[in-house]
Amino acid sequence: MPSDGPPPPPPPPATAGGQGHRPDAGDRDAAATAAATTSDWLEGTAPTAAVDPARPFATPRRLHPASVLLGVPLAQAVQALIFPVVATLAAPLWLTLLLLMVVAIIGLIVRLLDWRMRTFSFDGEVLRVDHGILSRNHRSLDVGRIQQVEIQRGAIQRVFGLAAIRVETAGSAAEPEVDLRVVPEEDAVALRAAVRASQQRLKGRATADESDQEADEEGEEVLTVPMSHVVIAAVTGARLLVLPAVIGGALQFVGNQVGPFVDDVIDQMIELGLAAGETPTVSGPDWRLVAVAAAGLLLLSVVAAIVVSVLRDGNFRIRRVDEDLYVSRGLLSTRDSVVPLRRVQLVEVKRNWIRRVLGFATVRIRSAGGSTGGEGRVTVPLLPVSEVDRLLSEIMPNVDGVPVLHSHPPQALRRSLFRWLRPATLLVAVVWLAPVVLPFVDDAGLIVDARPWVLLLLPINAVLAVVEYRQLAHGLTELVVAARSGALSITTALAPVVKVQAVTSRRSLFQRRLGLTTVLVHVAGPGALVTVLDAGRDAAARLHARLSEHAASPTPVVTPAQDAAGPQATGTPQDAADGPADARSAPAGATRQPDPRP
Amino acid sequence: MGWGQGGPVTIQAGDEIPRPGLDDRERELAPAVITSWRISSGLSWLLPGAMAIGLAVVIGPPWTWLVLVLLLGLVLFSVVFYPPMRFRRWRWQLTDLAIELRYGVLLHRRETVPYFRIQQIDIAAGPVDRLLELASLQVTTASASGSASLPGIAAEQAPQVRAELLARAATAVAEHPGDLRDAV
Repeated sequence: MPSDGPPPPPPPPATAGGQGHRPDAGDRDAAATAAATTSDWLEGTAPTAAVDPARPFATPRRLHPASVLLGVPLAQAVQALIFPVVATLAAPLWLTLLLLMVVAIIGLIVRLLDWRMRTFSFDGEVLRVDHGILSRNHRSLDVGRIQQVEIQRGAIQRVFGLAAIRVETAGSAAEPEVDLRVVPEEDAVALRAAVRASQQRLKGRATADESDQEADEEGEEVLTVPMSHVVIAAVTGARLLVLPAVIGGALQFVGNQVGPFVDDVIDQMIELGLAAGETPTVSGPDWRLVAVAAAGLLLLSVVAAIVVSVLRDGNFRIRRVDEDLYVSRGLLSTRDSVVPLRRVQLVEVKRNWIRRVLGFATVRIRSAGGSTGGEGRVTVPLLPVSEVDRLLSEIMPNVDGVPVLHSHPPQALRRSLFRWLRPATLLVAVVWLAPVVLPFVDDAGLIVDARPWVLLLLPINAVLAVVEYRQLAHGLTELVVAARSGALSITTALAPVVKVQAVTSRRSLFQRRLGLTTVLVHVAGPGALVTVLDAGRDAAARLHARLSEHAASPTPVVTPAQDAAGPQATGTPQDAADGPADARSAPAGATRQPDPRP
Repeated sequence: MGWGQGGPVTIQAGDEIPRPGLDDRERELAPAVITSWRISSGLSWLLPGAMAIGLAVVIGPPWTWLVLVLLLGLVLFSVVFYPPMRFRRWRWQLTDLAIELRYGVLLHRRETVPYFRIQQIDIAAGPVDRLLELASLQVTTASASGSASLPGIAAEQAPQVRAELLARAATAVAEHPGDLRDAV
């Protein structure tokens, strides 16, 4: 009975309602005395002794009690409740409600136990999280391995002053290494500041802990994206497709779940004369209706794209505090990421053709933290092309922007034409031959009708091939390697040379004939790759050689400016090497020898 | 048969790093890898081959023999002729700074993985490889796509190669000041 829908999750029990009960610095004493009277596991903090004010996270503590409810994503909770509804669609209502109650109560108990058993602590070097109801899990994360710390505040969380902390390492593939949902917002900020402070200490830069929290709020403004740009980004980007996709998905879901019900409604509408059902399928679709529906959908898509974009990317701001980029965005639910500059692996400047005409680009910054899957990579929604170089120089110190790019030899055009025309030719061949070879597939003659239109693909793709060829280029400086490609959407990928992990060159039979080579430059992170497509053979060989040399022995280029502030200026051996040589504690002041091997 | 005499590698500060002393000349894979490739590609043809023959027996259109001949030709090529071609193209080399692989018959590849970037080294041997006394060695970096794998080297050589790679990686890391030592 879909009209009933799943009832809202049951109201929070007394435990989760205690929002005013936060164990802040302020009422920690009050909480301590309260612990004596109430049973201690209802309290936000784990039962511990006094808290060291210098290292507030040294003793294990629990998440905020509200995480019983807010600790799971809403979608997941709804999904858990949808199942009993769907399973008992045919059963009487009271059974559905009963089942819902049972599922909700079990879920609540599990969440409560999970909250009780989950503690975290940070002693200045290691972030520890212990969790698990039956099988216990202890996770220790060395501060040197942290790639990115993100504070996320959902709309509901913001109402109650709560936030989630997500910590990423280079290894985290599917989900963040540590995901603390939810903690009081000031704890989240303090924890991030503490992590940052000890990262600074590791780098040998003693910063006063006090000024650090201030720095969180201040810092040097790098970029602010005005709301008008967010709107332009919405109507010129892929988010226009969000609504059609959602509607399509919903229709499919609805069709599968309550198809008969919808059919009933349509039948009723036809009876009432609300829908043109009198002459179904025979006269074909009513084109006026289709046109109106399409226009409506288009309008709705634009509105939806704008709303989604403004909510997500409104107030987009990048600040730079010392060596870290602070990126914040979002109108209702906000997201604050910190990307240490030295962790930036890849920067992609993208322009689709509409944005090119308008003179805009988007910039995507990737660190090695992998969990992000499009979400947590930092993407600047839109900025004027003239600003790109300045932003790049802020992200990658000493890089003045996109380096000089060298275009590829004319033979690359032939490959480009081949790449674009091959699929088009195949399609044309199928469309022209299919009705001849297998006449029965085209009873209605639709394919024959489409023949001339398909031919249009050939010139269009040829033009696109030329466009793509003209974009192909690559460049290499002492600091950065860059490559440009793409026809409809042009991407310029830049990777710091110090981050190059490995280099691969590939030459197919045709490439060998044309004297071309494709070079793949690998950096850390899922799918993080700079692809130099169809470079000239000799240029590619030089690129391969120079990049592997850089990758094998990264030499920092110390300019006077960097000498003062750069991370390379210090040489403490503390920074953990997570290579196989981990077991070796290197002698301090290890000197570099160019090549000690015989 | 175990993993050979390599054993766990522990390196203390100031230690002379043990090094099997593999020089930097170009190397081939172990010739037995041809047999291994033959067996694996032969096995991979079993199912489609059986299906094709079954279909031919059951349906048996007049041009069945053509399909079967084509199939036989493909099998013959991929089992008899292709593996030696592949072997002849395979070279690997421990250069000054990196392990370098060159291989590929139609698509020539050249992969360079610097010792400094090595995160993990795996040795693996399937049942066929174990019969042929082969092992494969996989070198992983922090990049998902940028890893190198040696598909068939002599099983008793694999631990040596690993030890050599580890030693070179340790040296490369020790050569760098602390800040740069973190390869990610």
